[in-house]
Amino acid sequence: MKLDRGILMDPRTKLLILITVTTFALGGAGGEATAKMVPVLCMVPFVLLLTAKRFKTALIGIILFAGSSLLLSSANAHNMGGFLYYMILGCCGLLGRFLPCIMMGRYLMESTTVSEFTAAMKKIHVSDNIIIPLSVMFRFFPTVMDEADSIGSAMKMRGISFGGKHSSKMIEYRLVPLMTCCVNIGEELSAAALTRGLGGKVKRTNICKVGFHFQDYIAIAICIVPWILLIMDVVK
Amino acid sequence: MDGIMTQNSQKEKLSGKDLINIGIYAAIYLVIMTAVSMLGFIPIMMPMLAVLCPLVGGITMMLFFTKVKKFGMITIITVIIGAFLWVTGMGYWPFIFGIICGVLADLVARSGNYTSKKKAVLSHGIMSITIFGCFLPLYLDINGYFATRTSFGSEYIEALTKIFQPWTAPVIFGCSFVFGILGALLGQHFLKKHFEKAGIV
Repeated sequence: MKLDRGILMDPRTKLLILITVTTFALGGAGGEATAKMVPVLCMVPFVLLLTAKRFKTALIGIILFAGSSLLLSSANAHNMGGFLYYMILGCCGLLGRFLPCIMMGRYLMESTTVSEFTAAMKKIHVSDNIIIPLSVMFRFFPTVMDEADSIGSAMKMRGISFGGKHSSKMIEYRLVPLMTCCVNIGEELSAAALTRGLGGKVKRTNICKVGFHFQDYIAIAICIVPWILLIMDVVK
Repeated sequence: MDGIMTQNSQKEKLSGKDLINIGIYAAIYLVIMTAVSMLGFIPIMMPMLAVLCPLVGGITMMLFFTKVKKFGMITIITVIIGAFLWVTGMGYWPFIFGIICGVLADLVARSGNYTSKKKAVLSHGIMSITIFGCFLPLYLDINGYFATRTSFGSEYIEALTKIFQPWTAPVIFGCSFVFGILGALLGQHFLKKHFEKAGIV
């Protein structure tokens, strides 16, 4: 499934980009000093998604982002007022603010394999107490979603869905079976993981080659600029 | 597997099985939370997430709390939830909140020896405050942020500041705590009704 993954980056670089984008594009740190960098940073996730050949996700993101900014500027240009204007402002303002970060998150999750992630985390000396739950979690996500899907369609037949006859029972009738089967699968998974030596006292090895390349240095250079601007602004 | 469990439960250190359990429950919790967030995808509905996520998440967490026997497990799961929120683009505040709330929730649960039901409910309430971190960037330095967007006109800035008035911050904060407690009570109700019967607990 992940044969053609486009340009690969080190997971640590991806984390750095994510931190930079959330800090400056969402958090608005640095105020006017870094304001000029914000549009550049907002574009970075979309470019990255394109390099990873996630064209559909990138396209949806770009359309949403461009649409919300266009709608906002046209609403401002026409001097709209009243309730509708506030709705547009609220929706588009939030969307424009959160979307680049959400897209960056999507990119990080979709373009990184669990082994690569584990290897990178080991290199920055994160404790095993965090790495093991995280790798189990990433491994377990597709299973949970698969089960939720099957349970959802089974319950739809009984009218327990949105707009169905018994939509009020949704929480109980969907979550309880989901959790029951996930816990059972989890028991098996943990037995399997323990037989492969997870949680043992020996050091585990990893065959993934993680390291910085040309594309990583470019990304790091782009990320460092707003931080320098921020520091200069504070020092001044 | 039982042999491994009894062997490790004597020590305070977290065993591999504990860590795997954390991963499994974190995955279930986060999938449910993402599904709930999709319901509130209309951005205006976003504050509702502070109500819905703790309420629905309480069921998973109460099941997780029955597996917790050592210090650190609740801390780690809260930190992971916070980190996930960070990675999916909610800013770094949930992560910071995750660390603080996680340790506090863990201490509360430990004071009940990880068996007290009342302490578990309170602990989940504290845990749920992590959600508030998602909303914090909207209140922090809102003028500073919108000062960078003057191209949209002053009216825009005025309107957005009006929507995110400072008094809504404590309301969201309180909501996440209260509904965390309600969610935990709901979870314990389900625990008794379904999971104990099914022999999962």
